[in-house]
Amino acid sequence: MSSREHILSRAKANKPDLLELPNLDLNVFVDGRDLIKEFKTKIEVVGGNVVDVVVKENVISQVSSLFPDTKANFSTLEGTQDFNTISLEALNKPHELEDLDILILESDIGVAENGALWLSDNQIPIRVLPFITKHLVLVLNKENIVPFLHQAYQKIASSETDFGVFISGPSKTADIEQSLVIGAQGALSLTVFIY
Amino acid sequence: MKVGLFIPCYINQLYPQVGIATLELLEKLNVNVAYPSGQTCCGQPMANSGYEYESVGACNNFVDNFKDFDYVVTPSGSCAYHVKKHYDIIPQTEDVINVRNNVYELCDFIVNILKVKNVNAKFPYKIGIHKSCHGLRGLRLGSCSELVGPSFSSIEDLLNEVEGAQLISLARKDECCGFGGTFAVTEEAISVKMGKDKIKDHLDSGAEVITATDTSCLMHLEGLINRNKQPLKVLHIAEILNSSI
Amino acid sequence: MNHSKAASIFNKDEKKVDWHDKALWFVRHKRDKAVHAVEGWESLRNYGHGIKAHTLSNLDNYLIQFEENALKNGVQVHWAANGDEHNKIVHGILKEHNAKKVVKSKSMLTEECHLNPFLEADGIEVIDTDLGERIVQLAKESPSHIVLPAIHKTKEEVDELFQEHLGTKPSGGDPQYLTGEARKHLRKKFISADAAITGVNFAIAETGGFVVCTNEGNADMGAHLAPVHIACMGIEKLIPKQEHLGVFLRLLARSATGQPITTYSSHFKKPVNGNKMHIVIVDNGRTEQLSRPDFRASLHCIRCGACMNTCPIYRRSGGHSYDATIPGPIGSILSPGKDLTKHSSLPFASTLCGSCSDVCPVKIDIHSQLYKWRQIITKETPQPFVKKTSMKMMGKVFAKPMQFERIGKVARWSLRNLPKGVINSKPNVWGKERDLPSGPTESFDDWYKKRKDNEQ
Repeated sequence: MSSREHILSRAKANKPDLLELPNLDLNVFVDGRDLIKEFKTKIEVVGGNVVDVVVKENVISQVSSLFPDTKANFSTLEGTQDFNTISLEALNKPHELEDLDILILESDIGVAENGALWLSDNQIPIRVLPFITKHLVLVLNKENIVPFLHQAYQKIASSETDFGVFISGPSKTADIEQSLVIGAQGALSLTVFIY
Repeated sequence: MKVGLFIPCYINQLYPQVGIATLELLEKLNVNVAYPSGQTCCGQPMANSGYEYESVGACNNFVDNFKDFDYVVTPSGSCAYHVKKHYDIIPQTEDVINVRNNVYELCDFIVNILKVKNVNAKFPYKIGIHKSCHGLRGLRLGSCSELVGPSFSSIEDLLNEVEGAQLISLARKDECCGFGGTFAVTEEAISVKMGKDKIKDHLDSGAEVITATDTSCLMHLEGLINRNKQPLKVLHIAEILNSSI
Repeated sequence: MNHSKAASIFNKDEKKVDWHDKALWFVRHKRDKAVHAVEGWESLRNYGHGIKAHTLSNLDNYLIQFEENALKNGVQVHWAANGDEHNKIVHGILKEHNAKKVVKSKSMLTEECHLNPFLEADGIEVIDTDLGERIVQLAKESPSHIVLPAIHKTKEEVDELFQEHLGTKPSGGDPQYLTGEARKHLRKKFISADAAITGVNFAIAETGGFVVCTNEGNADMGAHLAPVHIACMGIEKLIPKQEHLGVFLRLLARSATGQPITTYSSHFKKPVNGNKMHIVIVDNGRTEQLSRPDFRASLHCIRCGACMNTCPIYRRSGGHSYDATIPGPIGSILSPGKDLTKHSSLPFASTLCGSCSDVCPVKIDIHSQLYKWRQIITKETPQPFVKKTSMKMMGKVFAKPMQFERIGKVARWSLRNLPKGVINSKPNVWGKERDLPSGPTESFDDWYKKRKDNEQ
């Protein structure tokens, strides 16, 4: 017998009688909190920064003033060719992104309860981008903030994604004596622009 | 209402004053309470050590003693919990089921069955409550810090009504004291360390007296306090509730 | 060495015990703050429990569904009955791709299977990329905690390790500096890796995808840069549907560290063009645990580590005292299922205080299972003669009220009359640091009888 058959037959033989799958009643979680306020608070709790902008078109100018000395820049926002210093088409391998200073991506789901933003293959041209960049900037329309992860998954369910990630704050670690250090192996900072 | 009083084995032999306070308190509250002779132990020491099967005789003896009462009341959350939770090793006769359903820890019985909070006690001291784990997380005598829900405590309900009593709050309000039955001996180093830490929390928080629903925890803490000559008095909650100083 | 012995050695340095206890209590406290702010937290735990229990009750079918969908996604699926087979499969994949340098993100499963030494024996470089795991790897130790692998190490110890292995400057243990140096060191490893190994936090039957959670971003740095990604998972990592992640991701990080969610929750489904993705599904004793009705709920575990942070024994004895891949309360109910004799002291390393069960995000009845393992261990493994006979004697005494009374009298007399030096002599472990009660002249029984006689 192959290990596959062995495992499956033992799982079948050893499992208990079928137990019902619980039906989730999402009403029990309703807490009446203000979505935008909660979302901003949580981003700060997880070590990120929040910037309010009136219109999306203002993002680049604000990024340039927040991060004045960046050399390698990349953005997927429309009309930002002047900002971009690298061309993804010219890359041979993703490893060449090692020196990327700043990356701007758009997200279409923000989760109020944990300050997480969803990015999928549709928004990330190369998967390693949001992790390898030194500074990550995410742009979100406030209409796209949902209260809990449950609603986020309802939105995600409708799209086929090959890879997707919830990002909540900059990379961090507390592995040395429980001291929180921002900037571990991924992005050193996260700034979220909400319009 | 016929109430049978169960006095745990070690209280019977080593802390009779706790049994006396319990009986007197129940009598003050006009409870028709009887103390059946021939009681020994609930069986917990063997069972928690992994020798449940050696405790069958004790379990049967317990049920024999208490099967004819409406309630069984005991000054020990741990024993009450053991009867409720672990008496599944003997056949579940009607008597066994009744005894398991009707066994109550003292405070639980006063607050939730007698529906009394003020027992007319006086005790002018600063009290630190040690929330013994089997009472707290086993019998749910109060809310614990792990679970999310409304805060409540039968023990605090009673002590809040005691004249002159001041309840102090601890840094770690419901951490285990480290007694744990034979754990106190088989894991001596950790048991002692847990007890020392618990006592330090009470001292740092300004307690003059430590109390609990279980004399077993208190025996462990008192053993350390006496050895280290620390300025803390140790009393079972029945002794405080039966007090009129 | 049994737990008690190892714990007493750990306790020789009381300052370190205090430090370890406080560090973990701090995490438990953060967890409390986070979960008490969640409306419906207890419902969330019930859902987590219910979904896991349901999944286990239909595990074979969900495994088949998961495999089918993963294959459709272009992922290669492998099955390993035990740790050895798991290691051989991973080794085989690496050989096939001629991979010599491997970066690995945190996976307790690969620890359980002892993957690293197996690969290193063939000259493959395996770098653990989680900072805590890298620290213990450099120290040639095993993780002492499943979420905080290096929690037993002081910052000064990390400083020395990094000086020796990474050539850092002495910094007195500055976490910011040391983390920065580790980042530089690990960047080089990510850039040059031939393959990446990750664990799996959740595998979704409905999609064939899987989720990996990290705070550091190390799993993603590895998996997206290397041409080959191998994900290793135990069969209990399955959940039926993607929407169930809403429940588990809400529970996981809050329980683990008090964060509302980990920084990165990465959902892998298909490899990018030209790259390879493999999933290794491992049993290694899990289907056997599934066969035990009293213990199968231990397979609900989502590896948050909350039971360790809350356990007053774990906090004061350190993870290594458990001598098991998974330490602490959850480890103490998992390990006996694998080797009852080796791990026979673990279910006794508890006061049965029940904090672990109440803190558990998927409501595993951990302390009840500890109690049940005790009953099995005393029957099926050799027990000390003294313990066995004294329990038998106690059982007899408590079954017969007359005997109880007689023995009680003797005990009280001894406590009153024997000199302290005798009472607290060596065989009395209790008396090493604690006094015994003084031994009253009359028992409650005696008092009660006297009172009755006086009434008449």
